[in-house]
Amino acid sequence: MSEITKPAQRQQRSYAAQVLREVFMQWGARLGVFWIGLLVVVAVFAPFLANSHPLLLSEQGEISSPLIQYLTAADVTLLIIFFSVPVLYFFKISFRAKFGIFILITIVAAALCHATISPPRLSIYDQYRDNQQAGVYDWLITAPIPYSAKDYLRDEGDTGLEAPLAADERTHLFGTDENGADVLSRMVHASRIALSIGFVATGIAMIIGTIIGGLMGYFSGIFDMIGMRLVEIFEAIPVLFLLLTFVAFFGRNLYVMMIIIGITSWTGYARYVRAEFLKLRQQEFVQSAIACGLPLHSILFRHILPNGMAPILVAASFGVASAILAEATLSFLGLGLVDDPSWGQMLNQAVQAATFNWWMAAFPGGAIFLTVFAYNLIGEAMRDAIDPHLKKSAN
Amino acid sequence: MSLLLKVENLKTYLRAGNETVKAVDDVSFEINKGETFCLVGESGSGKSVTALSVIQLLPQDISQHPGGKIMFDYRHNDGHREQVDMLHLSEAKTRMIRGSRIAMIFQEPMTSLNPVFTIGDQIIEALQLHNPEMSSAAARERAIEALEQVKIPNAADRIDEYPHRLSGGQRQRVMIAMAMACEPDLLIADEPTTALDVTVQAEILRLMKELQQRKGTSILFITHDFGVVSQMADRLAVMRLGKIVESGPLNQVINNPQHEYSKKLLASLPENLPRDPGLAITKSNAAPPLLDLKGVQVYFPIKKGVLRRTVDHVKAVDGIDLQIPKGQILALVGESGCGKSTLGRAILRLTEPTAGKVHFNDSDITALHRKQLQPLRREMQIIFQDPMSSLNPRLTIAATLTEPMKVHGIGDSKEERLELAKQILERVQLEGDFIWRYPHEFSGGQRQRIGIARALALSPSFIVCDEVTSALDVSVQAEILQMLLELRKERDLTLLFITHNIAVVEYISDEMAVMHGGRIVEQGPTDRICRNPQHDYTQKLLAAVPRVEFNH
Repeated sequence: MSEITKPAQRQQRSYAAQVLREVFMQWGARLGVFWIGLLVVVAVFAPFLANSHPLLLSEQGEISSPLIQYLTAADVTLLIIFFSVPVLYFFKISFRAKFGIFILITIVAAALCHATISPPRLSIYDQYRDNQQAGVYDWLITAPIPYSAKDYLRDEGDTGLEAPLAADERTHLFGTDENGADVLSRMVHASRIALSIGFVATGIAMIIGTIIGGLMGYFSGIFDMIGMRLVEIFEAIPVLFLLLTFVAFFGRNLYVMMIIIGITSWTGYARYVRAEFLKLRQQEFVQSAIACGLPLHSILFRHILPNGMAPILVAASFGVASAILAEATLSFLGLGLVDDPSWGQMLNQAVQAATFNWWMAAFPGGAIFLTVFAYNLIGEAMRDAIDPHLKKSAN
Repeated sequence: MSLLLKVENLKTYLRAGNETVKAVDDVSFEINKGETFCLVGESGSGKSVTALSVIQLLPQDISQHPGGKIMFDYRHNDGHREQVDMLHLSEAKTRMIRGSRIAMIFQEPMTSLNPVFTIGDQIIEALQLHNPEMSSAAARERAIEALEQVKIPNAADRIDEYPHRLSGGQRQRVMIAMAMACEPDLLIADEPTTALDVTVQAEILRLMKELQQRKGTSILFITHDFGVVSQMADRLAVMRLGKIVESGPLNQVINNPQHEYSKKLLASLPENLPRDPGLAITKSNAAPPLLDLKGVQVYFPIKKGVLRRTVDHVKAVDGIDLQIPKGQILALVGESGCGKSTLGRAILRLTEPTAGKVHFNDSDITALHRKQLQPLRREMQIIFQDPMSSLNPRLTIAATLTEPMKVHGIGDSKEERLELAKQILERVQLEGDFIWRYPHEFSGGQRQRIGIARALALSPSFIVCDEVTSALDVSVQAEILQMLLELRKERDLTLLFITHNIAVVEYISDEMAVMHGGRIVEQGPTDRICRNPQHDYTQKLLAAVPRVEFNH
């Protein structure tokens, strides 16, 4: 049924708002959310932060923006999604409607962008530097980090493995990697992979886990039997070896990785959801919903699921962390994406070189650590907020 | 008689977050040696906190005593006596007194024994702690003796049992044995029989009295039940919002209450509620039955082994025949585990009956498919016991009330349904604007009203009331019971009233059925059964009910 709008002057908060408040009372969770938020901003604005294409340039009085010309469909989609969130926030509609519209915008934006936006296939990063030295441009504004992730600086000679700020004529805050690309720029672009693999893999796992766990818990009996066996089978699969096999057969594909991590890690969620449903099914408000003759979907998704969601979200925040680690592990083993930057792949380069290049290990390693730590902090805080026992002892 | 405990102007403040709650606010009372002093009050009146202050069991970081004295007449092991103030005693000394001179029994027997130790170990530990010179063999001897005193059969064998092998009543006996083993001067009993069935309650109360007479122990008895007070107390005090509003000897307070609040509380007892005898619908003036049960059985299989074969059944409901005429209130009475709640749920098919027929308005509910049952759901509703868990915490009251209406096509638009919901809330004496709130914003009594409102939202003709007043205070219970009677009259409702509280049955029901072990042992007009019970079990049950003895 349709959600009912609430009058604004209500003083008391709903349960979700209470939990959120509780979570943000803890400084650990604040730090975690701050770091993830920073990563999101960096990921969305990556092309504007680190790009060899200048943001604006004037060539004989003619102003153009190569950076915008070279934006890919994915870049634009991300930007649209990012800006739709604050816009939606101010609309006075229910959370569910907002969420629905958000999903719709995501899909439409992705489809439209892929259909309409086609940046030039070939990007010659050197041309700007050459032209600037030749004095072709009147003026130009570059991105804060004027190197793309795949700009190997071929025009500058051998730039491989320079320590941070070692070169005089160029600034590489985090140094360069073995191919001569700027490490900071690669890390900025890699944040996208880290974030998306965490969210998508966990999303897939949560959806599968909730459906199977919900069926097991609500119907119990034979469903429960079969479901639990299925859980046990999936728990017996070693994810890393499955991933290695898939990569060996089907090549290196980010989406395949996401899906495999997703469909092998749903079992934990299924167990949580099953336990919640078993408990809530006997609760009196569920019994009276049945007695009122409400349809099954309403009982499952309106009366049971929202009340059992809290432990699932806690598990999810740990799940995101472990998905990021799984991708980093694969990349570290050299089975990640080929050319696209990834934090784990950079760590791999750190150990493969003849000498130990600390900047190749410290910066990407630090980023992985901070991200996983941030998710764990948030998970920890959420668990404390929904657990009445812990709360009591904390007082 | 000499004084054992004197509480003077006791103040206990509890900190919850940033707020300070004056849980006990200037309370004074005294207990003589060998007497039973009852603290009576509704939930949140501070009676338990008073008791915990006396024995100094409140967590120190959240509680403080800004004022007052708790003078206790401390009998040292060598026999000499000393007046001590429990509030200003060293932790070591408090520990000496606790257990050996002041002992406590708690409400919930299921959780007050440690499940990983045998009951003997737990009693012996307490004994040896307070009598360090006692040998293990002697302590065991004493423990067996203590268990025999509380009438645990075969005490010598059962001393090595773990708590889970004992029933609730037996566990409470073990708790009493443990508390009495060191022969304390003061026994604090915090609602010791509230979680027990009436027949067990009667035994426990009798036992406590016996022990008290034999040992001369004083008892500080905390309860909300005036029936129990009437059985136990020599003197009593009525508490409200952390203050004692009235205290005195039992007879005086019960028969001639002075304070407004005590008067109101006593008037709220179901025995004292004004009744309307003209309404009673019994066999003689009854309409044709609205609900007709024939041989209803609910069996739960017991499965064993690898193949989960069914080896036996738990016969929760074992062949029930019952008719409820239209407009009648039938009370289903029985002790815990007798299958009364299961029967209530089986009628609505919340639990599937294993066998038998349920006819409602001439349609056989047990034979209907889920889809066909749907329109009938509107006619039959249920109200549950626990007001905390009977409302979905994530939905506003508006959503809770209007969703069933929408499913059953009541009201044409959202606005109309909201209007209806407001009217129903007003009917159960709540404000219409409450529909925008969430369940956690209400008190227990208000939630129970909302539970009733939800049942009424579909304007049913039949409602199962499953222990609807058991979790409520007497004054709230009285309001709910009166409201149910009014609603019955107004809407021509038929009620199946499931309860264990005989006083409530006598007040509300036209007819009653007594259930025992999944069967109905006696059925008939409430008046007749209460006055002249025929079946042995009914006689035992009615005899066990603690009655308030009024001198009217």
